[in-house]
Amino acid sequence: MSPPSPPTIDAPADWEALPLEDFRLRVRTWIEAWCPDEVRYPAGRLRWAQSREWWSRLYRRGWIAPGWPREHGGMGLSPIRQIVMLEELERHGCGRMPDQGITQVGPILLRYGTEAQRSEYLPKTLSGEAIWCQGYSEPNAGSDLASLQTSARLQGDRFVVDGSKIWTTLAMDATHMYLLARTSRGARKQQGISFLLVDMSTPGITVRPIRNIAGDEEFCQVFFDSVEIPRGNLVGRIDEGWSIAKSLLGFERLGIGSPRRPRQAFARLEQVARARGLFGDPAFLDRYTELRMDLEDLSAAYEEFVDQVRRGEPLGADVSLLKIWGTELMQRISELALLAAEDHAALAGEVALEGSSVNVLAPFYSSRPGTIYGGSNEIQRNILATTVLGLPR
Amino acid sequence: MTEPSGVDPDEGCALVARSAADYLARSDPLARARRWRDRTPGYDREAWRELASLGWPALLIPEADGGLGLGLDSMVAVVRAGAAASLPEPLTEVLAAAQALVHAPTSATRTGLLSRIVAGECIVALAVQDEAGPIDLQRIGTVAVSAGQGAWRVTGRKRFVAGGVGADGYVVHAHADHQPVLFWVPADCPGLEVLAHAQADGRFMADLVFADLVLPPDHLLASGEPALAAAWAAIDTALIGSAAELLGLSQRALDLTLDYLRTRTQFDRPIGAFQALQHRAVDLYIHQRIGESVMRQLLDALRHDPSAELRTRGASRVKARAARSARQITREAIQLHGAIGFTDDCEVGMHVRRALVLGAWLGSELEHRRRYARLAPPIVD
Repeated sequence: MSPPSPPTIDAPADWEALPLEDFRLRVRTWIEAWCPDEVRYPAGRLRWAQSREWWSRLYRRGWIAPGWPREHGGMGLSPIRQIVMLEELERHGCGRMPDQGITQVGPILLRYGTEAQRSEYLPKTLSGEAIWCQGYSEPNAGSDLASLQTSARLQGDRFVVDGSKIWTTLAMDATHMYLLARTSRGARKQQGISFLLVDMSTPGITVRPIRNIAGDEEFCQVFFDSVEIPRGNLVGRIDEGWSIAKSLLGFERLGIGSPRRPRQAFARLEQVARARGLFGDPAFLDRYTELRMDLEDLSAAYEEFVDQVRRGEPLGADVSLLKIWGTELMQRISELALLAAEDHAALAGEVALEGSSVNVLAPFYSSRPGTIYGGSNEIQRNILATTVLGLPR
Repeated sequence: MTEPSGVDPDEGCALVARSAADYLARSDPLARARRWRDRTPGYDREAWRELASLGWPALLIPEADGGLGLGLDSMVAVVRAGAAASLPEPLTEVLAAAQALVHAPTSATRTGLLSRIVAGECIVALAVQDEAGPIDLQRIGTVAVSAGQGAWRVTGRKRFVAGGVGADGYVVHAHADHQPVLFWVPADCPGLEVLAHAQADGRFMADLVFADLVLPPDHLLASGEPALAAAWAAIDTALIGSAAELLGLSQRALDLTLDYLRTRTQFDRPIGAFQALQHRAVDLYIHQRIGESVMRQLLDALRHDPSAELRTRGASRVKARAARSARQITREAIQLHGAIGFTDDCEVGMHVRRALVLGAWLGSELEHRRRYARLAPPIVD
């Protein structure tokens, strides 16, 4: 039975005016009341059909875009309050929706877009009428993204796009893509890349889902065969799209290093260990406690970066240490969960474990992409080594 | 703990940290550590008096007892800097043992000792272990019986007394009348034998052997619950202090390693340009940062809630973490330096060996994880 539509009133004129802990409580209470069960603790990424209802509740509440300015339909929250909102969503186990329109496209259009682009795209991005996917990686441009080859040739008032994008998360659900394509060849490969907005229903686009190791279809390859895009869909100046793509490296990077995801995996580990009666086993208990302390100590480091945001300070490149530690920790946790499950770890899907039902493999699978996407951990280490530790390039 | 009247604690801590940096920069503690290695007591008594003139042994002693009345932040700042500079004097050891006196009930013995510690005239060490492994203050090992007229006759043996060789006396945990007690045992007491054991870092630990040692009545510092509370305050202070030392020495080992990676050339380029080494260096940096975060969080938490419960749990957490980080960093520092890293001339070795001692003293990573698991509430909300 679906609950009645959530109230849209009772929002204070200014969220920023509420004391932070009151704000957190208001958010928490509302999420607990209105978040549909089907988006909580999903085994994989949420598909649009699963998220649609939750999206629309948040939209009607005016909460779908916490970081956008109020005049554009956002909540106008400061970074620290955006973090609080994320924390509360994570706390409730809300799965991630196809939110790249909110987190990426909106802020980019607000900064680099034209008036026409904003009035065209911002309202439908908020309402969920436009669902965005990210067209960055290519078969031969992964970590070395700037070597991308998908071309966009300017012919009159249109670009003609040829090539393909890969690892495009949930492209099959998307109505639009924000795309990096090569418009010219400069002295440096970062030059000559342009940032384009693409309607996925344009003729010449083919989306082929890729089955992942867990058996799910979450990412896709997208093919472009003489796809015509209006010139008006160019964001910023031609050949200068690289700096636009790189511009979103602010406090958003904290999210990727949040202890919440490893904590959810840890809860699964605990569930399995309890069911298997392993807490009386000193060898297990030591490994368990070590991971637990790694997790709590990650939280201590995370809190320091949050404090930095709270003080209004910009985050440095050192924040990526959270991503490295957190994603690798999640993998270590999920590995111990496999050992703890003993023979059950051989079984796919939900497994009956002494009265409870656990998907033992889910944390294992969901912990794998974290070290690869968003700049692989190897790339993060390269960056830390040169920019933070001052080692030679 | 009473707050200093004139100076606010943050300011006091900053002042102390600055004067520590000055002193360490001009007094070459590393050379002193090398000079005193492998010969008792392992440090320079003259230098100790200078440290006392800077107020270091007095940091945590309340103003009412003649000390500076500063918080754990200031201890952490000073011992951390001292460890980075290879300071050989037993600062953490004395600060910790003095905490047992601070937490003991008021007495003439306590007052006298604290003022001598502040003056740098008394080096005191903590003797709470009868054997290796988890510290158990309920365990009956060293025993005191009445020797008439309020005096005590003590028999037994205390082990792993860091800073115990060359000390002027000991705060000794024992059992009397079926309850735990703390005694003050002067080093020159007849019936006390101090056996020196060489530590991995060239300093010394003592075993104290009590053979019908007789103590006057006023040497009983505390008994029952107050004795336990005072002993745990001292042990936790030692754990937090050793964690701070570990963080200081691991930061130093990391800095030395990064410098080496930037300057050592092989295959016509600085070896720090090789990705395999860069990634290892980054992992060490992450270990260091996580350790720093845990220490900072603990100090913040204790400022708001100075309860023994939080202190004890936090002490195990930070000791386990700092030992883990320092283990990784000091071992890798050898490897990343190559053969030079295995020489006695290379400073890295000083930190490797100190990390071995601190990693084991008063409980390893393993023991503190166990203790933390017993003490800490479950994580899942």
